[in-house]
Amino acid sequence: MKEYKPKIVCFLCKWCTSAGADLAGTSRLKYPASILPIRVMCSSRIDPMFVVKAFLNGADGVFIGGCHPGDCHYHEGNYHTRRRFAMLTKVFDTLGLDSKRLKLSWISASEGTKFAKVSNEYTEKIKSYGENPSKWNVFL
Amino acid sequence: MSDRIGVYVCECGPNIADKVDIKRILTEISDLNEPPEKIIIAKKHKLLCSKEGQDFLAGEIIENELTHLVIAACSPRDHDITFMNVCKRTDLNPYLYKLVNIREHCAWIIPDKDEATEKAIQYIRAGISRVTYQSPLTEKELDSIPDVLVIGAGIAGIEASLSLAGEKRKVYLVEKTSSIGGNVTRFEKILPHQGTNLDIIQEKIKTVQENENIKVFTETEVEKAIGFFGNFEITLKNIQDEEQKKEFKVGAIVVATGFNLFNPEKIPRYGYGKIEDIYTSMEIEESNSKTGKILLKSGKPPKSAALIHCVGREEKGYCSRVCCNYMFKIAQYLKEKTPAIKITEFYQDLCLPNKADQEFYVDTKNKGVDFICFKDIAVKQKDKDKFIEYTKMDGKKEKISAEMIILAPAIEPAVGSKDIAELLNISLDETGFFQEAHQKLNPIATSIDGVFIVGSAQNPKNIPDSMMDAQAVGGKILTQLIPGVKLVPEVIISEISDAFCTGCQTCLSVCSYGAIYFDEDRNISVVNEAICRGCGNCVASCPSGAAHAKHFTSLQIYQEVLEAIR
Repeated sequence: MKEYKPKIVCFLCKWCTSAGADLAGTSRLKYPASILPIRVMCSSRIDPMFVVKAFLNGADGVFIGGCHPGDCHYHEGNYHTRRRFAMLTKVFDTLGLDSKRLKLSWISASEGTKFAKVSNEYTEKIKSYGENPSKWNVFL
Repeated sequence: MSDRIGVYVCECGPNIADKVDIKRILTEISDLNEPPEKIIIAKKHKLLCSKEGQDFLAGEIIENELTHLVIAACSPRDHDITFMNVCKRTDLNPYLYKLVNIREHCAWIIPDKDEATEKAIQYIRAGISRVTYQSPLTEKELDSIPDVLVIGAGIAGIEASLSLAGEKRKVYLVEKTSSIGGNVTRFEKILPHQGTNLDIIQEKIKTVQENENIKVFTETEVEKAIGFFGNFEITLKNIQDEEQKKEFKVGAIVVATGFNLFNPEKIPRYGYGKIEDIYTSMEIEESNSKTGKILLKSGKPPKSAALIHCVGREEKGYCSRVCCNYMFKIAQYLKEKTPAIKITEFYQDLCLPNKADQEFYVDTKNKGVDFICFKDIAVKQKDKDKFIEYTKMDGKKEKISAEMIILAPAIEPAVGSKDIAELLNISLDETGFFQEAHQKLNPIATSIDGVFIVGSAQNPKNIPDSMMDAQAVGGKILTQLIPGVKLVPEVIISEISDAFCTGCQTCLSVCSYGAIYFDEDRNISVVNEAICRGCGNCVASCPSGAAHAKHFTSLQIYQEVLEAIR
């Protein structure tokens, strides 16, 4: 049987986590191909609907990366992200979706190692859950 | 009209070519060709960022009449601008191009070539999907005003004004008090070589006053500052006569409001204000500067003195950086006047950040000044005698008597910093000093473009550090606000649709820049294009879908995501 390869959408802010992901690359660190980065200007741009939509349309996990609290390029954007994420987790549970498959992590431009580590661990975690049962089953 | 999408894969030398199967990528991407609606041209190149590569791209865009361009290469941090500039050489709008990072995100992180290739294909498909939903954006040009407003006429404000004022650039220097020069004019001598301050500061003050391109306003405050980098509308008001106002426009604002000293009365254990002959360092400086003497209240010179550093350091939560050095200086003043005087300096930590400081410390020590590191300290009075009771670092409690006690209170942000922060829409940090754009990488800029902070307004600073800031701000402004040169504001910003906005004002509450205002007449929120920085927070918060982030629209992001996970 072919090994199960999860699909993980990663929303990365341009200034910190996306740069951290670049550093993971330039440092030649290894992490799975499951990680699919989508660049946005700030983690606060991530409408919770993006996550829901990705989740229902084929993603096995969604990972949001932003600057560390206090370090947001736009000052307070990531605080809003944090609140929206807390809200989204609740909504997921309420709807019967699996909130364990969501992840929020603060990764700075200098933390390439952290990006690779989080990507590896998160992919393993999603693999242990298996395929997302909600995909293609719910339409929005 | 059909979409003609050019997809160019860069080999990046061996960096990409060795790690992914470019031939397979080109075959699979070419398979997406759906004429006549969607025509895909997929090619590879050795090194697209090279001059030859750029010329090749420009030629391809023109020759193939491309409507969209996708480049699969390195990180946008490396060459996004390079390829946007290539687009600008042709008729293709640079916002109809997308750089897909198959190097850092595929080639360099996935050891298995097949896997890396598959991810690259997936990723390029997502890029193609996104690019067709992108819209052309036009960079607008705005007139800029080269003049500058400097708030605060201390040494930092004065130096900033001098470095900025010129034939084509006026500086408006605003000072709250009745004279310019600031705190420095209160010192007798300036470290490190102990020359008198008068030579330095008086000469600067004279130059400012004589410079016809610097307009000085004393006893004046800023009442209003509205606008954006290149064009701020300023209203000043006279403190004595509030009706007396002055209006003008500037392109940038420099905040040089300096510092105040922490009031030691707030910590009763130092006895300041209650026990006789306890002074702050500034009181000693002023007395020495005006009368040339440092005397007890009785009129006699002191036979013993205790100098206490770090007053308010724990309460404020930061080291004020400049006190250690000036306390050595005060000890030296006292030694010069009365060589037999017994001096003890009490400190919690010594801060000797500059290259001349260590030598000055050793020199002070060699002149017979005792140094004691304390854990706790209190000043007590018994009859007419004063005692310093202290606990040493080893826990031992001791006490000594001293006729004169001199305190080094913490450096605090200037009174009124909060009002200025509100006026200019910038922030104060938890210490109350102005918050810099980035503590390490951008310490004199703020969250608002065109508003800068220099000297002790940002952090307790000595004179050379303040001068450095002031000269640096000169560089920042001179290179960005060039007379006659237009400004190009950011185009990746938010916009709010009149038709969809319900006027709930959620966006106003999340915007860190005050870039959105509420139009009372039309009952809708409106984005000020010149202030918006394009983070997109308002877009994610808008409950009615009225806010859009240009170049990061929901549709564009959806298309990219859906194709990536297909």
